[in-house]
Amino acid sequence: QQPAPLEPLGHPDAGLQSAVGEEAEGARDESPGEGTMTENNFWLKKIEISVSEAEKRTGRNAMNMQETYTAYLIETRSVEHTDGQSVLTDSLWRRYSEFELLRNYLLVYYPHIVVPPLPEKRAEFVWHKLSADNMDPDFVERRRIGLENFLLRVASHPILCRDKIFYLFLTQEGNWKETVNETGFQLKADSRLKALNATFRVKNPDKRFTELKHYSDELQSVISHLLRVRARVADRLYGVYKVHGNYGRVFSEWSAIEKEMGDGLQSAGHHMDVYASSIDDILEDEEHYADQLKEYLFYAEALRAVCRKHELMQYDLEMAAQDLASKKQQCEELATGTVRTFSLKGMTTKLFGQETPEQREARIKVLEEQINEGEQQLKSKNLEGREFVKNAWADIERFKEQKNHDLKEALISYAVMQISMCKKGIQVWTNAKECFSKM
Amino acid sequence: MSGGPPKGLPSTGPHSLLDMPHPLAGSSSEEAVGGDSTPSPDLLMARSFGDKDLILPNGGTPAGTSSPASSSSLLNRLQLDDDIDGETRDLFVTVDDPKKHVCTMETYITYRITTKSTRVEFDLPEYSVRRRYQDFDWLRSKLEESQPTHLIPPLPEKFVVKGVVDRFSEEFVETRRKALDKFLKRITDHPVLSFNEHFNVFLTAKDLNAYKKQGMALLTRVGESVKHVTGGYKLRSRPLEFAAIGDYLDTFALKLGTIDRIAQRIIKEEIEYLVELREYGPVYSTWSALEGELAEPLEGVSACIGNCSTALEELTDDMTEDFLPVLREYILYSDSMKSVLKKRDQVQAEYEAKLEAVALRKEDRPKVPADVEKCQDRMECFNADLKADMERWQNNKRQDFRQLLMGMADKNIQYYEKCLTAWESIIPLLQEKQEAK
Repeated sequence: QQPAPLEPLGHPDAGLQSAVGEEAEGARDESPGEGTMTENNFWLKKIEISVSEAEKRTGRNAMNMQETYTAYLIETRSVEHTDGQSVLTDSLWRRYSEFELLRNYLLVYYPHIVVPPLPEKRAEFVWHKLSADNMDPDFVERRRIGLENFLLRVASHPILCRDKIFYLFLTQEGNWKETVNETGFQLKADSRLKALNATFRVKNPDKRFTELKHYSDELQSVISHLLRVRARVADRLYGVYKVHGNYGRVFSEWSAIEKEMGDGLQSAGHHMDVYASSIDDILEDEEHYADQLKEYLFYAEALRAVCRKHELMQYDLEMAAQDLASKKQQCEELATGTVRTFSLKGMTTKLFGQETPEQREARIKVLEEQINEGEQQLKSKNLEGREFVKNAWADIERFKEQKNHDLKEALISYAVMQISMCKKGIQVWTNAKECFSKM
Repeated sequence: MSGGPPKGLPSTGPHSLLDMPHPLAGSSSEEAVGGDSTPSPDLLMARSFGDKDLILPNGGTPAGTSSPASSSSLLNRLQLDDDIDGETRDLFVTVDDPKKHVCTMETYITYRITTKSTRVEFDLPEYSVRRRYQDFDWLRSKLEESQPTHLIPPLPEKFVVKGVVDRFSEEFVETRRKALDKFLKRITDHPVLSFNEHFNVFLTAKDLNAYKKQGMALLTRVGESVKHVTGGYKLRSRPLEFAAIGDYLDTFALKLGTIDRIAQRIIKEEIEYLVELREYGPVYSTWSALEGELAEPLEGVSACIGNCSTALEELTDDMTEDFLPVLREYILYSDSMKSVLKKRDQVQAEYEAKLEAVALRKEDRPKVPADVEKCQDRMECFNADLKADMERWQNNKRQDFRQLLMGMADKNIQYYEKCLTAWESIIPLLQEKQEAK
């Protein structure tokens, strides 16, 4: 199995160079813990990653029940500059759930990055000949390619490629899961509810992100629709081709009772058989196109996640500013003696009597401390927010270019497939016509 | 009968069977009965065919009261059977220009029949008349009646279920027109049928209905007698060659039926494929509206799929209109041939029965009564006609199917070529470097 060069699906003419070693403009390395930088040496070499094999395994799951799963072999090679020879440096087995773990980790620690998606968990958009079974060899094969593509995408991303956990994913078979969990990333994750809440209540999000979120929703919808219809188209096309195979049989039977016409009919029938069987390869090739579309269907989700993160941060910021403003107001009121805002303290004061000046002083002091703290927080939140916007937008621009390039390539390869199919059709029917002419 | 198996008899032309010298009679006619050579001129001259010449360029019999037992075999040998080039043709018939007629009682379609001929049977060199389907139906019945030993080409189906098929749709009318044209052309090409009097009237008469009314009077006595051959006789066995023809026709019809079903299935699948394509293309358009740099490429793909859809629709229309009807016609054709075979069987059965009856009577002189002789004659004529027609049919069938199947292949090639052009033209568009928006 030839290891794929360090370019994901749809980059036919990219070189071996990994995108590492280049400092992305303004990129902030947000990976946790120390030790990340030390691993950078690894990344200055060119590397090749491949998911070269898939193997069925049985084992015991967390509930000590027997299960069957597929394991994938990941091989990493370093490429010597001078002679282009590659040396196998690492090789280990991972299953799909570990890929998922890696990705979830990346999502938490790189919320400003459009994180490459994994191939689908379950087979969807299948046309009838394709199996929806996860253990089906064709599905496993397409998944293997998809997983390889995922790793290549991550490895060629200027920021993600430097992540230590990613490095360990490729190099440390045992204990990797524990290492990831030790980062505590699950705790850092924003709850979905929180994110949804923010979406509804944020007042001043960056318009670009709002538009982008809308775009990602539409993109998801249109690609889903496209994939569904494409599957039906494939189904129908299959039917058309296969029925022609019946001509082969009947022409053969008919030729048996004919004298002059017999040969022509018989040989034409053979071409009809060829025609009917040609559809299998044609549709297999088209699955590749469908996979390319699927990748961007899932990418749309990743895009939306970045937008939501912005909304969340902005909402957080707005809440903090609101809170600060309200505290300042309280402070002012206490200082001047006017009560404009409602406060519990004010309420209790009314009920239980005016507080003493000392008490008031104490309260003002507390508030002033809080205000100070709040101002610091607001400042850093603001900074965070602006950094996020800047970095996220940079990655989004990078993503846009990648998307445009990849999808154009996908469309071109789809057109090429159609052209090939048409040419085959012309060939077969021309052959058949010639046989008929000899009747 | 002396001599070997009955060979083709000389043509009786317009004369009734009674005038013809019996095969067993004079020796001069026996020579003619024998070999495959052209008959001696004096034999032909011996028959007075009136003022008209017998030997016409394509060897047909003059129009007039045609004898049902007329053997075409002699004339076939004179005729150039494979005159595909049409240069020896002297009769051309075309069906075109369908028109709808709306009357109080009914609505119907008429077709213009144009005839061009140098034959003496036609008073004018050119005719143009209008006929409707029921006129064709009448003609066919008349031909079957008057030429029972010959294979009459089939007509397209008479009845169409109202509501399922639109009798007045362009496609239906065009399909029918082509079939009617083919029907008349096949008769035109037939050395005996093309001289049939009813055919002539069909092509030329201004008022066909008037002629139809006097139809009965023109039946010849012999025609009637052949028509009245009852089915009361049981055939012992079909001669090998006719049994072979029968078997062939059975298998042939079966295979055609299968091909018809396959073709229908293909069209059905193609139409369902088309339905999906018509939804598929526009989705790319919808997507294009969301995009910047990808907008043009996506729109291009959408248009491309649209072109392919149109091409596919054209293919299915062609197959429905041109391929299926011709296929079905041939099934009808082989059915016609089978019924002619059966009629032949009847004639043979009658002859054999009568012969047996004679043998049983045990007379001292083996005198063959006249009516048995007539039967034998009839049978031999019939056999000859049928064999000749079968041969012609086989040849035409080969040409027709060659053309039909090549046409089918052609339509598919054209479909793929249209799609190929569409996809190839889009490649440069896809590869174009877009200006930054």
